Amino acid sequence: MLDVIQFSSFSEFLHMGGYAFNVWSVYGLFAVFIMANLFLPLRKKQQILKEQKRRLLFSEAADDAQAPAGDK
Amino acid sequence: MNPTPATSTSAAFLATLRRDFLIAYKRKHDVVNPFMFFVIVVSLFPVGISPDPVKLAEIAAGVIWIAVLLASMLSMDSLYRADFEDGSLEQLLLSPHPLYFMVLAKNISHWLVSGLPVVLISPILAYMLNLPAAAYFTLLLSLLIGTPILSLLGSIAVALTVGLGSRGLILAVITLPMSVPVLIFGTLAVQASVNTMSPAGYLALMLAMLAAAISLGPLASAAALRISVD
Amino acid sequence: MWLWFAKLGSPKWFYELSSKWLPWLVGAMAILLSVGVIWGLLFLPPDYQQGYSSRILIVHVAVAGTSLAFFPLMAVAGTITLVWRMKLADMVAKNAAPLGAWFSFITLATGSIWGSVSWGTWWEWTDSRLVSMLFQFFLLLGVISLRSALEDSDKAAKACALLSIVGCINVVIIKYSVEWWNTLHQPSSPVSLSPDSPNGPEFWIATGIMILAVYLFLAVSLILATRNEILVRERQAQWVQDLVRQE
Repeated sequence: MLDVIQFSSFSEFLHMGGYAFNVWSVYGLFAVFIMANLFLPLRKKQQILKEQKRRLLFSEAADDAQAPAGDK
Repeated sequence: MNPTPATSTSAAFLATLRRDFLIAYKRKHDVVNPFMFFVIVVSLFPVGISPDPVKLAEIAAGVIWIAVLLASMLSMDSLYRADFEDGSLEQLLLSPHPLYFMVLAKNISHWLVSGLPVVLISPILAYMLNLPAAAYFTLLLSLLIGTPILSLLGSIAVALTVGLGSRGLILAVITLPMSVPVLIFGTLAVQASVNTMSPAGYLALMLAMLAAAISLGPLASAAALRISVD
Repeated sequence: MWLWFAKLGSPKWFYELSSKWLPWLVGAMAILLSVGVIWGLLFLPPDYQQGYSSRILIVHVAVAGTSLAFFPLMAVAGTITLVWRMKLADMVAKNAAPLGAWFSFITLATGSIWGSVSWGTWWEWTDSRLVSMLFQFFLLLGVISLRSALEDSDKAAKACALLSIVGCINVVIIKYSVEWWNTLHQPSSPVSLSPDSPNGPEFWIATGIMILAVYLFLAVSLILATRNEILVRERQAQWVQDLVRQE
């Protein structure tokens, strides 16, 4: 089944038997779709972690600043 | 825990119906506006497309059905809003009677007040659009069966968004795709009559949809009201 | 059984379990996707009727088939939200709606690119599958806009859950009524090619691989988005704060 590559040259592969635009735009769209829905969540995760770390450090700094005042 | 209701469910059902009629009588613009909207939208089509009677006859059924769809959707906005604002919706939710019947009563009175007039005027507009005379009765019948389905579907979306300030567009985005089956069978029935075929099959299907909508729609609306009014 | 169910509802448990599973899912997805795409682009013989444009169908059919899973998925998640008040179910449902809209949109786009070759037109109302996919797309947009309109997140969760259940029933009715509508409006110029028409076992094996790959992609993407949601909603929890500190 997998014994024949259908094309003998690279330009023929790009040409897709005359359907170059249609075939390549569909596979391109598919690639964008997959990549976007994998990398956007990953990027968002980095943003969330960064934001939350900043908040956490900020609130800890605020606690530290208050604590000595409470001791006295 | 449940207090024994002082009135029977059927009495409460009728009381809700009566109350909504009275309110509609006092707030006439809620009744008149959908009706006027329907008439105006339909009369825009000949201006926008063509005054040619042959062309108009072809699109008449679809134009009327879509205008009814839009009018019914716009009129839905008033279904729970006033009750939500003055707090009587909460009273309704607290009542010991099954919410299903209360919601059904509100739907019925709302349809009778704002849906039925639109249906009744439709043959005149059908005449103005040059719909073949053979199809008038089917148009009326299909609208009579179809518009309650639209109301019952729209009621779910209104109940979900009752707490929102401005919701005209979100209501449209939710309800319009849901009304596609009604539109399809309504126009198919009229087209069948135009082509001198029997519309009975489509009307029967619409009746089945109406039965499903009556039994399930108020349940979903009631659940939606309980979610929105907390 | 109930213990397992309660555990599954815990966001922490889900986060830890999905950390373990994700590498495997991503690996399987990557392998199947590459096999599918390379086979589709290099080895699949041209269809006797459609030539190489049949290669579009491997992608289109896989995405279209998978996008039908969204409303059932959201309806099940919605039922769990309404009945058991499980937070995790709503986190999944919230992220499923935009992803489903993506899937429907890609189905419509690839379908119309395929149609531009096989039907000679970019949009064909006589193809009932494309038309009902269009309405599924609209319904998903409705769920998304309801979610964004309701500010109270608990209310939004329940409202969207209910709308997903109603929408799921509606999608089925729309599908059948559109099919019916289509058989009655016979096209004036008969459209002979339907997305089912390419034959030969190779085409269907390649499509099968693609469907599996796209389902895995759905799972991976949904899990990633759900994990983000967990990080945001559970930010007060000790385990999330520990996790943030480690970063």
